[in-house]
Amino acid sequence: MKRPDSPSCRQCRYFQNAASDVEAALPGLSALSSAYAAVRGSDGICAVHARYVAASAHCPDFAISVSLVRSQAALA
Amino acid sequence: MAEIAQAAPARPFVRRSPWSELFRKEDWWAIWIGLGLIAVAVALFAGGSSIKWLAVAPQKWSHLTDVTQQLKAHGLQYAALFVLWAVAFGIGAAALGIKITRFLPAFLLVYLAAGSIYFLGQWDQAAHYNLEPPLVALGLGLLLSNTLGVPRWLEPGLRVEFYIKTGIVLLGAGLPLTLIAWAGPVAIVQAAIVSLATFGVIYAAAVRLGLDRRLAATLGTGGAVCGVSGAIAVGGAVGAKKEEVSVAISLVVVWAIVMIFVLPLIARALNLSTGVAGAWIGTSEFADAAGLAAAQTYGGYAGNVPGIAGSPDAAVSAFTLMKVIGRDVWIGVWAFVLSLIATTRWERTGVQSKASAAEIWNRFPKFVLGFLVASAVMTLVTRGFDYAVYKKEVLPTLVAPLQAFRTWAFTFAFLSIGLSTRIREFASIGARPLVAFTIGVVVNVILGFVLSTQVFGGFWNRLGQ
Repeated sequence: MKRPDSPSCRQCRYFQNAASDVEAALPGLSALSSAYAAVRGSDGICAVHARYVAASAHCPDFAISVSLVRSQAALA
Repeated sequence: MAEIAQAAPARPFVRRSPWSELFRKEDWWAIWIGLGLIAVAVALFAGGSSIKWLAVAPQKWSHLTDVTQQLKAHGLQYAALFVLWAVAFGIGAAALGIKITRFLPAFLLVYLAAGSIYFLGQWDQAAHYNLEPPLVALGLGLLLSNTLGVPRWLEPGLRVEFYIKTGIVLLGAGLPLTLIAWAGPVAIVQAAIVSLATFGVIYAAAVRLGLDRRLAATLGTGGAVCGVSGAIAVGGAVGAKKEEVSVAISLVVVWAIVMIFVLPLIARALNLSTGVAGAWIGTSEFADAAGLAAAQTYGGYAGNVPGIAGSPDAAVSAFTLMKVIGRDVWIGVWAFVLSLIATTRWERTGVQSKASAAEIWNRFPKFVLGFLVASAVMTLVTRGFDYAVYKKEVLPTLVAPLQAFRTWAFTFAFLSIGLSTRIREFASIGARPLVAFTIGVVVNVILGFVLSTQVFGGFWNRLGQ
């Protein structure tokens, strides 16, 4: 497993992009589309900025996800 | 922020291989299921057998005793068909992260309800009472979900997109590759004209009304390209606010459902042929599932409603060419271009996005590949048969069973649309987004009608014949 390149939303604790979370956050999405669809890519909800953003985005409020800290600790 | 941090779930961080997409997106599962069924059907056909025993479907009936007899005679086949769908969709759902123990009970009810609606559509008086299965499925679902409510345990089985994409892959088996090559370019040109005009109108109206450019772009793509899927693809690419994406979703769903009923009604009043009506619906509907409901409804009028020319399948074929080939496949390009504009031209937000051309492929609706492969496979398999042999042997033993599978998958989807659309849960839309989007709808419908009936009308009429 490679270490992450640069902090992006993908590794941020405030970023929620599990399909079930996205569908719960956006009512009506599953009626005529789906969070499991390819068109969504890896986009998710930023809990800090209340925006729907790409996983590759970044911002100064980045905070490493707890699970990523554990993954890195396991690598060390 | 500390509160948000605590509220944010600590999901396991996993860096996945790009190949994992093949099993983690429903587009790919629609391909595996659709092409899997086609492969089995072709293998049995090549061996002198047929999959038709499993592809059971209700037949025309006049009295309820006929239905009882059909169920007695084919009960085992209906049970086997349920097992087939339950295994196929169940494995797919489990791979997507939906608990199979929650999916299966819900799917059983979806299957039983879809079967009942399928039977109702075969009543010899159904057309007389306007009981077209897509509209019945949708109307019944909407009524239940917005009055009595839908129990939570049923929700895992309401996977509209999973079912509709599987149906579209199976639909590819009924469209020769030569037809796609012949009609595809016209569909792309017509769809491009309408998409660009609709996006431009919605975007300009929204900005003029003082709405944020990211919301304007999300609304515009939702109306111009592929409905809710377009809205979430571009909403994410440009970094729209969460409530802006919700507003776009609500507007698209409401208008798409209105269009399911209105477009076939107007087309019927004007006696449009099935090919022309399918092209118009493909140009002016917003979502695949909604448009297929409208197109299949209109196809059902052929032979049942006086004055409607063309074959029943032409409406769905023209719709699919227009919507899937003409509009859906370009969503990645729209997302990339708008992401580029957002990062370089628009005011910055707290979150910085990166525009990457890789998004064109990442967001590509992969099920379209399955649709094209299905068409290519069936074109190869059926070449060399003259028309008499095709009609006598290939059609009943290979093509018709795959059409029956497709109809089942579409019926699951149409029912799920209604059952998963709860108007009261929609975001508060606001007057300005409503006005901007509605202006775009009007332009879209009129321009789509003129192109489908006047500019390319002869072409779409020929498709229907």
